[in-house]
Amino acid sequence: MTTLALARLFARRAGGDASTVVLPAVAFAVVTLCTTVVTGGVFAFFTFAGQNGSTYRMLALLALVLLVIPLASLGGAAARLAARRRDERLSSLRLLGASTGLVSALTVLESTVVALAGAVIGAIASLGALPLFGLLHFDGRALGGAIWPPAWVFFAVIGGVALLSAVSAAIGLRAVVLTPLGVRTRVVSAGVKWLRAGIAAGVLVIAVAISSSLNAFAQIGGLILVIAVLLCGFGAVLSMLGLVGPLVLRGFGRRWLKRASGPAQLIAARTVLHDVKGAWRQVGALALVSFVAVFTGIGVAFTHVMGSEDAASRLLAADIRTGVILTLVMSFAMVACAIGVNQAAGILDRRSLYVSLDRIGMPFTVMDSARRRAVLAPLLVVTVGSATAAALVLFPLTGYTLLLQPLGLAVIAGCLALGIGLVWAGLAATRPVLRRVVGEASATLPDR
Amino acid sequence: MCEASVARKHGGMHNLIEARSLFKDFGPTRALRGVDLAVAPGESVAIMGPSGSGKTTLLHCLAGIERPGAGEVLLRTTAGVVEVAALSDRRRSELRRTTFGFVFQQGLLLPELTAGENVALPLLLLGQGRSDAEAEALRLLQLLGISDKATARIGELSGGQQQRVAIARAQAAQPAVVFADEPTGALDSVTSTEVMTALLASTVGSGRALIVVTHDAGVAARCDRTLHMADGVIVETSGVAERAQAEAS
Repeated sequence: MTTLALARLFARRAGGDASTVVLPAVAFAVVTLCTTVVTGGVFAFFTFAGQNGSTYRMLALLALVLLVIPLASLGGAAARLAARRRDERLSSLRLLGASTGLVSALTVLESTVVALAGAVIGAIASLGALPLFGLLHFDGRALGGAIWPPAWVFFAVIGGVALLSAVSAAIGLRAVVLTPLGVRTRVVSAGVKWLRAGIAAGVLVIAVAISSSLNAFAQIGGLILVIAVLLCGFGAVLSMLGLVGPLVLRGFGRRWLKRASGPAQLIAARTVLHDVKGAWRQVGALALVSFVAVFTGIGVAFTHVMGSEDAASRLLAADIRTGVILTLVMSFAMVACAIGVNQAAGILDRRSLYVSLDRIGMPFTVMDSARRRAVLAPLLVVTVGSATAAALVLFPLTGYTLLLQPLGLAVIAGCLALGIGLVWAGLAATRPVLRRVVGEASATLPDR
Repeated sequence: MCEASVARKHGGMHNLIEARSLFKDFGPTRALRGVDLAVAPGESVAIMGPSGSGKTTLLHCLAGIERPGAGEVLLRTTAGVVEVAALSDRRRSELRRTTFGFVFQQGLLLPELTAGENVALPLLLLGQGRSDAEAEALRLLQLLGISDKATARIGELSGGQQQRVAIARAQAAQPAVVFADEPTGALDSVTSTEVMTALLASTVGSGRALIVVTHDAGVAARCDRTLHMADGVIVETSGVAERAQAEAS
């Protein structure tokens, strides 16, 4: 009863800072929309019959694997945002003597309600988006009504998003429950372990060995086995990227810090080093996208060669191309959205600091530049690194592409440029938030 | 009003900074009602008053953070007298970088940077090279007795140490006036006394003016003058002479 009363009180007070509710709600809506559309797509491909039916199902699963990580990244960002914006207030409640149970219940309740609201909005939006995706042609016909998943999928996605939020909120606020002053103390993040580098190197060696034996796999099990092997190799490299990414960023950050001459560079380099894992979380999903981009370029060339056989193969090649582009566009959109959400949350969390920097005379351009550099510099590092890793994994096919289908390289460059452009746009979209925070000096005046 | 005409009009101004008939409204609330104030170089002034009395608004108007609705804030610089409120946002921001220093209640230092880098930041903003800026930062931290913390992160410092870093940062650009908003508000009494000693030594002791907003009578007692505000006006001024007289009687 107390929990509900407090939740109602906070809900009324939240009107003064709508961003606490609106930002995570929008993020959860996007997560729900994307999840529903992707699930619908998978259902559609599972209705395909004929000789290529199993191939389409495999490709649908491949696309799902590709999309799950940026989707999880966006979902995690939304959940962290929903929880983080409340930690200070809940910490105060804890100081006032609220029990652990009350604080936990309030946290979970608030985050879940916001997630539910966002998820319902996202599900409603998907009702409008699904018919548009239904216009896409695969296997010579429009997806049409096949893209509509069963009704239970909508409810399952809404429930899943709410559950994700609840779990994330509970985990994220353990510090508040354990130590009321925890949220005030920004401890230096734990360092990354060098053991990760060893594991990652091992994974990379295995992945390279597997991809070098693709011809042997093709002779044994045909295209399906090749795709399955590629899928495993792909998953292995993704794990490797997650392990080695923070290490790479730390090394880069240290060199950057040494060279930094201006205030924006110094702050940006220190921001990366202060929370390397956080920096990786922010751009890691885009490392994945750049990895996919390399796959795309090489895949386009590969399917073009396949297209010289019969009509069904040509159709399959064209569909793979469409599917890959579709997967990329959705990945880009989710990553850009996650970065936008993270950045907006970061600005709002550091409101007092930005106002104080304005007061000591730091130009807005320096503040904005530091923030953008702290995202874009690691992004450039991870995209180039991931693209190199992907090219290494597909080394034999990469060589063919370079020689026979240079168009593939153009696709890679285009995809990377698009990804960076989308992140840039995501950052630019949060610039007004920073401007509002800095201009909103009156909001931070404790005393008139 | 252009700066040249301000300089001609107030050419004879001897104070470092002056507020004349300042008014400021926030919606229907009148925060300042015709405040006059003059601060000389090397003088320390405390502004006291209950919450909502207008003391922080006055500080912000003096520092060019807020524009007054009416009245003027005049600052004597080497180039002449400048009317702060008439300057553009960019020029006021530049003024805060070059001529004013700030110490806030919570320090509000960049947690990602080391203590030394935080102190060097104003100098970097002024275009100074990084090695020179960091050397100067180390010197300032040395003066405040915390040079051993130069490479420490802000989260690793105590509240008192953080405020010393903030004081060092406020001195970095060698400002003419230092504004402090509840600089000891988050500290215990012993640390508060130490921080105030450091603040006075590094400002008034170096010929700079210090304007402090505080609720702490102990902090105010250490300043040359104390202004008491209520409902947007200065209702009482007490100074060294008055205190000496009171103590004698």
